[in-house]
Amino acid sequence: MRAVIRRLGVYLLAAWVAITVSFLLPRVVPGNPVAGAVARASQSGNCNQQCVMAIEEQLGYNVHTPLWDQYVQYLGNLAHGDLGHSWSENAPVGSLIVSFLPWTLVLLGVATTLSFLAGSAIGTLIAWRRGSWVELILPAATFFQSLPYFFLGLVLVLVFGQTGTMLRWFPSLFGYDIFSVTPGFNLPYIQSVISHSILPATTVILASLGGFILSIRNQVITTMDEDFVVVAQAKGLRTRTVIWYAVRNALLPVVANFTVAISLVVGGQILVEIVFNYPGIGFHLFDALSKLDYTLVQGIFVVITLVVLAANLLADVVYVALDPRARQAA
Amino acid sequence: MTIDTSQVTRRSRILRLPRSPKVIAGLFIVALFAVIAVIGGWAAPYSPNATDTQNWVQHVLVPGTGGDTGFPANYYPLPFAPSAAHWLGTTVFAQDAWSQLLASTQATMFVGLLAAAIATALSILFGVTAGYIGGGTDEGLSLVANVFLAIPGLPLLIVLADYVPSAGSSVFLVAAIIAVTTWAYSARTLRAQTLSLRNRDFVEASRVSGESRTRIILAEILPNLIPIVAASFLFTTLAATYAYVAISFLGLGGSPTGSPAGLWNWGEMLREGFANNAVRSGWWWWWAPPGIAVALLGTGLALLNFGIDEFINPRLRTAGLTARAAKKAGIRIGSGIGVTPVARITHAAPSRPAADAVLEIRGLSVDYGYGDQAVHAVMGCDLVLRRGRVLGLAGESGSGKTTLALAAIRLLRQPAVITSGQVLFHSKPFTGDGPKGTIDLLAAGLPQLREVRWSEIAVVLQSALNALNPVITIGAQFDDLLRAHRPQMSADERYARAGELLDMVGMNADRLRSYPHELSGGMRQRAMIAMALALEPQVMILDEPTTALDVVTQREILEELMGLRDRLGFAALFITHDLSLLVELADDIAVMYAGRLMERAPARSLFRAPRLPYTHGLLHCFPPMHGKRVPMEGIPGSPPDLRDLPSGCAFHPRCRWALDRCKQEVPLLGPIDGTNREVACWLHRDGAAPPPELSLPEPAAAMRHAAIQVIQP
Repeated sequence: MRAVIRRLGVYLLAAWVAITVSFLLPRVVPGNPVAGAVARASQSGNCNQQCVMAIEEQLGYNVHTPLWDQYVQYLGNLAHGDLGHSWSENAPVGSLIVSFLPWTLVLLGVATTLSFLAGSAIGTLIAWRRGSWVELILPAATFFQSLPYFFLGLVLVLVFGQTGTMLRWFPSLFGYDIFSVTPGFNLPYIQSVISHSILPATTVILASLGGFILSIRNQVITTMDEDFVVVAQAKGLRTRTVIWYAVRNALLPVVANFTVAISLVVGGQILVEIVFNYPGIGFHLFDALSKLDYTLVQGIFVVITLVVLAANLLADVVYVALDPRARQAA
Repeated sequence: MTIDTSQVTRRSRILRLPRSPKVIAGLFIVALFAVIAVIGGWAAPYSPNATDTQNWVQHVLVPGTGGDTGFPANYYPLPFAPSAAHWLGTTVFAQDAWSQLLASTQATMFVGLLAAAIATALSILFGVTAGYIGGGTDEGLSLVANVFLAIPGLPLLIVLADYVPSAGSSVFLVAAIIAVTTWAYSARTLRAQTLSLRNRDFVEASRVSGESRTRIILAEILPNLIPIVAASFLFTTLAATYAYVAISFLGLGGSPTGSPAGLWNWGEMLREGFANNAVRSGWWWWWAPPGIAVALLGTGLALLNFGIDEFINPRLRTAGLTARAAKKAGIRIGSGIGVTPVARITHAAPSRPAADAVLEIRGLSVDYGYGDQAVHAVMGCDLVLRRGRVLGLAGESGSGKTTLALAAIRLLRQPAVITSGQVLFHSKPFTGDGPKGTIDLLAAGLPQLREVRWSEIAVVLQSALNALNPVITIGAQFDDLLRAHRPQMSADERYARAGELLDMVGMNADRLRSYPHELSGGMRQRAMIAMALALEPQVMILDEPTTALDVVTQREILEELMGLRDRLGFAALFITHDLSLLVELADDIAVMYAGRLMERAPARSLFRAPRLPYTHGLLHCFPPMHGKRVPMEGIPGSPPDLRDLPSGCAFHPRCRWALDRCKQEVPLLGPIDGTNREVACWLHRDGAAPPPELSLPEPAAAMRHAAIQVIQP
């Protein structure tokens, strides 16, 4: 258990750093950028005097209590799930994020899982069939890996999207057809959600696939030179079993490095949501940025960080489950 | 005490990129972008902000919403498609997209490189300090790096860029913020590498000789980190470029027309295009070029990184055997997985199989690599392993012993190719279900090989820790094996059989539930031997099975092994560099040097009366425990580089009896006239007079006993 607790400590510390950064930034940055936002909030019809005061308190503008007291109060509010008030949506940030989060989590979870599985399969195939035509996938994977997620999204919109100009196969705006279906547990809504997720999910999968293919290919090639794979072949085991021996071991470093991958995918998906007006936290982060709704920006940043840390913890647990040596140390 | 550090290998090359098409393409792309970044400003036909008033009047105005574009609210201009005047067309504001792209390249690359430079400096500072100093400093710095690594980079970047006012208008501030979010990964890699370098001999040597810590880090550690630093610099450049493009796409990079003005960059072009409906209007020339530019630059950097990866990890370097290369090298028998390719098969029937032979190797040659670059690792070797006997194969590291043995059962990896020869396995299985008759292993396909592998020919390698799959239990590895070869056995029967086998090598059946890392080195090797015996093979190939173990365990395991051989009757090919061990174990011994067999004799004859100068040298490397004192001579020099073998006899530069002839002609293994001894040495040919050391009389049969006594501890 020790290794996992250690990692948990790192994540708690990371969460604390993220929370503290988002608390301190509006307060310590010279030439307070918050003033403009608060002014805009008070001018908009969305935010009454009370709401403006709530924002001022949240961002530490025009507040005369000592920094430390503000900090303690901020942490206390967070502990109660109170992330402040969004003037642009005129609603508590916490409940807003709860409504955005499922879109992001489902898209992220499904796309990353599919991409990881497909990447593992293709990467293994390339490593196993070195010198055959499948190696031609490598330059393509390198190029796709180098495409920014949102640019790939734009290209897919152009070619396949209904708001594009070419094939118009799939919907490419919003999370569902906001004009003709009612959200809820009904078939038209579910169908609409699924068809609207095809292009965003394809974007995330295609953009992240290349990285998985390359890292797994390199690991499998390295592992295949290990004695235990040679011995597995000397044992006359079925090719299937030999591949499994190599892949099972090659996955370990890939899972151990998942931190970097998940951070990249999350960053990429934020921009993909913007391209598709997909109603997850990434799109609303962009929306909040353009409306200078700092309270919402702050809340979304904290929640994204927590999501990523949770994903990391999950990866650590998977690692411990996969590697008996880590299990013993854990 | 003075330490001669020149004796300690430091490094051969700091960083040499392999000259592969990948690296050349990567260099070309990156160089192209660098040139554009430098001269782009002058080469641009227009100012990126200038509206083309000449063509403006001809612009078609369509109804739409102008927003705050400065155009009449009800009209929206159409951008021009690419033309001679505007190679990449224009934006919706009649600005030249090509000029914008050129200006953007400069700013994007500048910010990317600047951020990468800052991040790399940070990661070197953190990583090397943490790795070298260790202890609490390491704990603290690693914790900082891990925390930064766990916080998602882009969201942090967004929040930082958003709160820092006028961040967008200062490229230095943007670069610094990007650097803060991208340095951690490289820091972790550098720390790990420094940690492993810290304990290497040449660093230890500098430390003992009293060099200062700073000097060691600067002069010893950093030069060896250059490949990793280069790789992480490229990686960070890529990450920083993406980050800059991403925050500019979000409108946080500063607007070029705003005040204070930001710089044109690829992300800004994409943002303007996206915000002005360029995608749904099909104006691809506006937004597609900057996106493709990002991807191309990224591809170029990634290709260069492949080159560095291949330099750092040579396993990635060996190219696979393509169909074309196979054809060029004349390889007939396909490679497939776990099967060494064969270039030419000798179909000629053997001149009557040797009596009692179980494994017959005739004229076997093995190359690493194809065509001109091929290294000849094994050349024309003949060996016969007799049923129930032990054949020793001796030689220094790199002499080709393992290559020879593994090639015979086609286990060598690419780029190994068997270029000629014949390997015959004469099967007489102990149990009824094995294949019978003679099998030509070089002509066999994978299914046929799989029938022979392990069930008739098993292998035990030097390091059992590496030979056992680390992530599954010993029991599961027995199970996989028995399931593959004895499909009729039930799970319970397999488990019982595995326990029985462990018991046979003196291990408790409970150990089936253990993972390899839970066993001691000796136990792992016992488990490996038990596995090798599982199917009652006729042949065991033992490749330095005890070299990695301590002397006591070594002795126990060898006795165990020889006891099992007497009981079960398998034949063994025992490979070792320890000739004195072979004298004790083997019936016959073959000595190998630089890929060729040089002497072959019954063990006692070879030990008592070596005919080859090399064998003589090997035998005089080990002091006898009893008997009269003899001077230790050893062999001067070191084993030859197979890529650059001496002419003539490969041993001649190290041979004290070398003749002129030895420098020109390669001696072949053959009988010495009038005796039954076989040697590849000109000293014994054509009337040359061998020195007295190499012409001792053949020992009598009883001498074997004496030989054993000499080396028993």
